[in-house]
Amino acid sequence: MVLDTGWSRRAFLRATLGAAALGAGGATLSGCSSSTTASGATRVRIWSWLTGMDRYVAAFNAAQREVHVELSVIAAGLDGGYAQQTNAIRARNAPDILHVEYQGLIQVLATGGLRDITDDMSDLAEGYSDAAWRGVRPDGRTWAVPMDLAPMVFYYRADLFDRHGIAVPRTWDEFRVAAEAVREADPAARLTTFPLNDGSFFAGMSWQAGQPWWRIDGDTWVVDVDGEGTLRTGSYWQDLISSDLVGSGGTGTQDWIASMHEGRLWGLLGASWSVGTLQKSIPDDTGRWAVTTMPTWGGEPANGMQGGTAFGVSEDSQVPEAAMTFLRWLSTDPEVPRIGATFTSPFPGYLPNREVARDEVGLDYFVGDPVFDVLEEADRRVPEWTWGPNALGLFSNITDSFGGVPAGRTTIPDALRRVQGVALSGLRERGLSARAGGAA
Amino acid sequence: MTVVTDRGDSSARRPAPSPAPRRMGGRAGRARLAPLLLVAPFALLLLATVLVPIGYALYLSLFTERLSGLGFSGPEDVFVWLSNYGAVLSDPAFAESVWNVARYALVHVPLMLGAALVLALLLDGAVVWLRQVWSLAVFLPYAVPGVIAGLVWAYLFSPGIGPLNDVLPWDPLGSEGVLPSIVTMATWQWMGYNMIIFYTALRTVPRDVLEAARIDGAGPVRTALSVKVPIIRPTIFVALVFTVIGSLQLFTEPLVLRSFTGSVTSTWTPSLYVYEAAFITNDYGRAAAASLLLALACAVLSALVMRLSTRRSG
Repeated sequence: MVLDTGWSRRAFLRATLGAAALGAGGATLSGCSSSTTASGATRVRIWSWLTGMDRYVAAFNAAQREVHVELSVIAAGLDGGYAQQTNAIRARNAPDILHVEYQGLIQVLATGGLRDITDDMSDLAEGYSDAAWRGVRPDGRTWAVPMDLAPMVFYYRADLFDRHGIAVPRTWDEFRVAAEAVREADPAARLTTFPLNDGSFFAGMSWQAGQPWWRIDGDTWVVDVDGEGTLRTGSYWQDLISSDLVGSGGTGTQDWIASMHEGRLWGLLGASWSVGTLQKSIPDDTGRWAVTTMPTWGGEPANGMQGGTAFGVSEDSQVPEAAMTFLRWLSTDPEVPRIGATFTSPFPGYLPNREVARDEVGLDYFVGDPVFDVLEEADRRVPEWTWGPNALGLFSNITDSFGGVPAGRTTIPDALRRVQGVALSGLRERGLSARAGGAA
Repeated sequence: MTVVTDRGDSSARRPAPSPAPRRMGGRAGRARLAPLLLVAPFALLLLATVLVPIGYALYLSLFTERLSGLGFSGPEDVFVWLSNYGAVLSDPAFAESVWNVARYALVHVPLMLGAALVLALLLDGAVVWLRQVWSLAVFLPYAVPGVIAGLVWAYLFSPGIGPLNDVLPWDPLGSEGVLPSIVTMATWQWMGYNMIIFYTALRTVPRDVLEAARIDGAGPVRTALSVKVPIIRPTIFVALVFTVIGSLQLFTEPLVLRSFTGSVTSTWTPSLYVYEAAFITNDYGRAAAASLLLALACAVLSALVMRLSTRRSG
């Protein structure tokens, strides 16, 4: 009997992580089935992992009586949020509003769980930045409401760059020179780390080369993970990593925070949300960091995005109008960035709101060019890009394939060719017509 | 566990304990009803928590979701016979995951059970001071939730933060080093637990047998190896079965380490493979097929070990 206890407990522990997402989902499901509250407002359920969503929802519910939004906070997308939403869609009990990122939109779309909201959104087309609007319209129909945008930029230690006379790199050639200069100035320091364990980061870096990993050609997906631009990006970083000019460890870890604060890393290849990350993880570094646009390939102004939030309306929702009422408010009401500015630095996809955020967010943390100017320039530089129906799975493929790079068991270009093969056969297995990009 | 308790409860509640079966209509009917009643809680739980899920997994494993065109119109379930099983068995990632747990089990099982047995024998044999404190100290890691323990170890292994990176003869988060690291984590966690099981079994070894051994001139080591271990062999085999199954289902430790190193892939063990297929790639059919194969492997292996134990002791 003691054994029995131990065994079931052990199994339980083993299963805990996997079950957590499902359990959380179940708990929220049992809540309510009626579509109106006691006071007669239309009830709208939303699942989200956006920081501060509870405050937005509270403000919305306090401001009007027609719609009552009920929020369930779920795990961040790749940590279980997508799994939970996909399971709910499959079980036909998804909430009215689903949290999707631009990068995950097509994969969620392929579950059949999203409602076409082209007509509900047509009047807002002019208000959004191009990158945001393109991101929710993969096939000419609108599938989600853009929230924020995450163009990639380069953060660097302005004080150390100045002290050692290192020029801020504008191109990737200059970036290599700067990396050498940093190592020379301090053998224990590196210019930055190139996190090999983050597929969505690598996608963002490849985005810049102007060759999307997916394209839609009629009824066929064109997959191009080993296209020339991506391979060039991969070879460049392979060279920097094997020459020991940059690190290859992850960002956001305790180790990374310590390295950033103690001057062992002088830069960060980040996105708009890194503003908040830096302010939160190394608050003592005020006045040391500056931000500039991503170095470019031969001066061609371009950079990718990493992340960025949008919200879709569930196909099964009984109250799509009420859901849209909330989403339109969330995406375009100036009150939202005002609330957001109190605890983070939002970078809305809706341009009038971006002006509000610019005025409200206090950014005396950074030196050098005004942060919002740099971010807006970066937003304008984002080239065309299409995500595919296997994007999220591909990220974990990339992480797996890059695992052998630090030990020299494989190289980034070799890994990319392998990922391309897996991605292509994966799409075909699911019944989609797909072909390799190079063959076009 | 709950099953066992329930059964105890209902037997205590049994209305009229009949000492011996009598040929009387009403009583016989009730007596026939009693076993059903006693078995019901267990049967219901077994049905609801094991058989129905397995049946559903079996059902899922025969279907796959097919998209059409660009996939924007959502998936359709298609019956595909056993092709999900074929896909899993021919997937090199699955083969690699099996290879990983095989290597893991080969080191972890003898190391952990051996150490647990030695500790239990020491605790049982020697006149140990503070016996309670000792057993509690060794048992304590088991009380730490797996994820928390994983995080603690991951920090200990991390270069620049934890001290172990400089001390260990292997690179604990490198591509070759994660396996010994995971073995270390699991051995630390499960050794005390198994030690308690062995120790409990050792306490039931009849004292007169031990006395006889001592009178025959057997020293403590000889007594341990020739008397105590053979007597508790069934317990050792039960622990072996559980450990082998646990090894096959290795999940928490690699999952936690995964956020610290790229050396642990998303399909590093069969359980991770299932998790990846179901919740990252959304391929429920393949996930169901892989988990059934895993269950089958567990069943076959434990049957094998049990068979081995009866043959040996018989």
